[in-house]
Amino acid sequence: MTTESVRLFVAEDNPADVWLIEEALNRHSISFAIENYATAAEAINAVVQYQDGTLPVPDLILVDYNLPTGHGGEILAAAATVARLADVPKAVLTSYLQPREHKAALDLGAKCVITKPAQLEEFMSEVGGKIAELLRARDAESIATEQPSRG
Amino acid sequence: MNVAVTAFEENNSTQHERVKLLLVDDDPSNLIALQATLEPLEQELMLADKGEDALRYCLDHQFAAILLDVRMPGMDGFETAALIRSRKSSRHTPILFLTAYRSDEQLFRGYDLGAVDFLFKPILPEILQSKVAVFVDMHRNERLLHRQTERVAVAERRFRAVLESAPDAMVITNETGIIELANSRTDTMFGHVRESLIGRDLRTLIPEWQPATTPEAGNGPVSNWSGTAPESRLTALRHDGTCFPVQITRSIFDTSGKYLFTTAIRDATEQVQAEARIQRVNAELEKRVAERTAELSYSNEALRQFAWAASHDLQEPVRTVLAFSQWLSTTGETASTKDRKRMLLTIQSHAARLHELLGGLRQYIHVSELGVTAPREASWTLVDCNAVLRQVTANLQDLIDENQAVIERDRLPFIYGNDILLVQLFQNLVANAIKYRSASSPVVRISGNATDSAWVFSVQDNGIGIDPKYHEYIFGVFRRLDRGGGAGMGLAICKAVTERLGGKIWVESPPEGGSIFRFSVPLRTEAEEQEA
Repeated sequence: MTTESVRLFVAEDNPADVWLIEEALNRHSISFAIENYATAAEAINAVVQYQDGTLPVPDLILVDYNLPTGHGGEILAAAATVARLADVPKAVLTSYLQPREHKAALDLGAKCVITKPAQLEEFMSEVGGKIAELLRARDAESIATEQPSRG
Repeated sequence: MNVAVTAFEENNSTQHERVKLLLVDDDPSNLIALQATLEPLEQELMLADKGEDALRYCLDHQFAAILLDVRMPGMDGFETAALIRSRKSSRHTPILFLTAYRSDEQLFRGYDLGAVDFLFKPILPEILQSKVAVFVDMHRNERLLHRQTERVAVAERRFRAVLESAPDAMVITNETGIIELANSRTDTMFGHVRESLIGRDLRTLIPEWQPATTPEAGNGPVSNWSGTAPESRLTALRHDGTCFPVQITRSIFDTSGKYLFTTAIRDATEQVQAEARIQRVNAELEKRVAERTAELSYSNEALRQFAWAASHDLQEPVRTVLAFSQWLSTTGETASTKDRKRMLLTIQSHAARLHELLGGLRQYIHVSELGVTAPREASWTLVDCNAVLRQVTANLQDLIDENQAVIERDRLPFIYGNDILLVQLFQNLVANAIKYRSASSPVVRISGNATDSAWVFSVQDNGIGIDPKYHEYIFGVFRRLDRGGGAGMGLAICKAVTERLGGKIWVESPPEGGSIFRFSVPLRTEAEEQEA
């Protein structure tokens, strides 16, 4: 488990859910910093800011699907246009998705769709576990790609 | 002695209908002799012994021949003959004079009185028989001819009567289409004088008319060439030049080598109108079915979207309440007082949120088509929109005062609708106009203008305005543009209300800033106006 603080981009309008995500990360011993956007418009605006290369890219992008002013798919679509975010793992975190939205999210570059469990313990293990998994996979990939240059 | 004698057996009369013969002689022995001579002819013999009796018989009977003795006391044969001749019914009855004298004077006088023959006494039975037999045959033939003529005349009268009583115009033409006969219906239908129709070509009445095919023409098998040709719909021309549709039925009959065509013509104006009416009704029905189907599939889709949104948005606060109450109950002493308080507040706010969402949902279901069980027209009346706005202003008085908002209202129309729904509609729009205010104090202007087909109302504000990309988004259920309060149902309810009123709602972003919400309410059609 990495001890470095991970930077999470979270589009989520429910502050209670942000708190639950934080708790889940704590329980998985992940140290983190969260950028939270409460509307789709704010999140999209933030995503396109990464284009110009001055801001450090996040380690993970988590988007809720139903948001004021739009939906998570629009944020994923905006992120897909930003080359610097290509290697950043993205996931949808939502109460429930219609099957066609589920498919659309994966098509737009989400690695997975995490359904927010109703029970607290499940939320902790499911959400925390999935985030940890995504981060590990990203690290493995970056090591694999960075290794030759190190040699 | 004046006795009518039936001389023969009845059974003979069936073969040859018996005719009557009158025998007149003052001498009974002569009468008996004549009777005996003529009995073999098997005809009905009537005997008279004086001229007066003979005349009386002639009143009641038609005789094939009268045998008349010239010399009789009182009225003699010639006088009797003259009187018989003078009567119309017996003018042509053949008279044979019986006489003992051959005198030229008598012959002349007799022939002059219409005698057909003279028989001189003593009479030879064979001669008498053969002469009388000729007259019997003649009379019989005459009678037959008369009957046949009578029969033909009756048939002709019957035919005319049928022709005249027919509901259709009936025209009989020859093979080239020249009219030989037309009934009175033809005059009235075409506005011609009947006499002027005879000898005219039927095509002057019906230009497209064709004679039915004759067997000689050999145009394919005409199995029933003496029957009826199929009906056809043609255009006919009245005397005054106007046109009208007709249905014609043609038949053809062969009158010993000459063909005659009967054309029955029926005015099809009403039928054509009825057909057009049926077509119109059908088209209207199809249109309505299509519209209703579109409406249903639209509300099905709306219902589906609504169900998804509702299930999703109601799930959120429930899940949060459940998770945080679990967290609070398991965390015990380990959590700080501050965290525990925050958890409780989270539970409270989400329970309140759920309550708010359910309230919005209930309101939405109430106004939208989804919850309608009674016909929408049930509570529809003429509503004064000025009164609606006064009600809205009263309901929102606190909000107006807090924001020092100014509500400007043009004179608004009366429209056909439901006042409760209209209050909800205007109240949501006016409340939004005040809530989403900019730094300057809110000014809300309400007006209503008629277009060709609808009233279009507008609610304009000087607030923060709405990005055009959200112009449609905001009318969905549970849609909010910020994370602030509200169930996100207000404009969804406005949309549901306008749809129930048969109209549309949309928003515009004017260049001067703020927003203009507009909605339409269709004008009632004349038909609807009459129904009401």
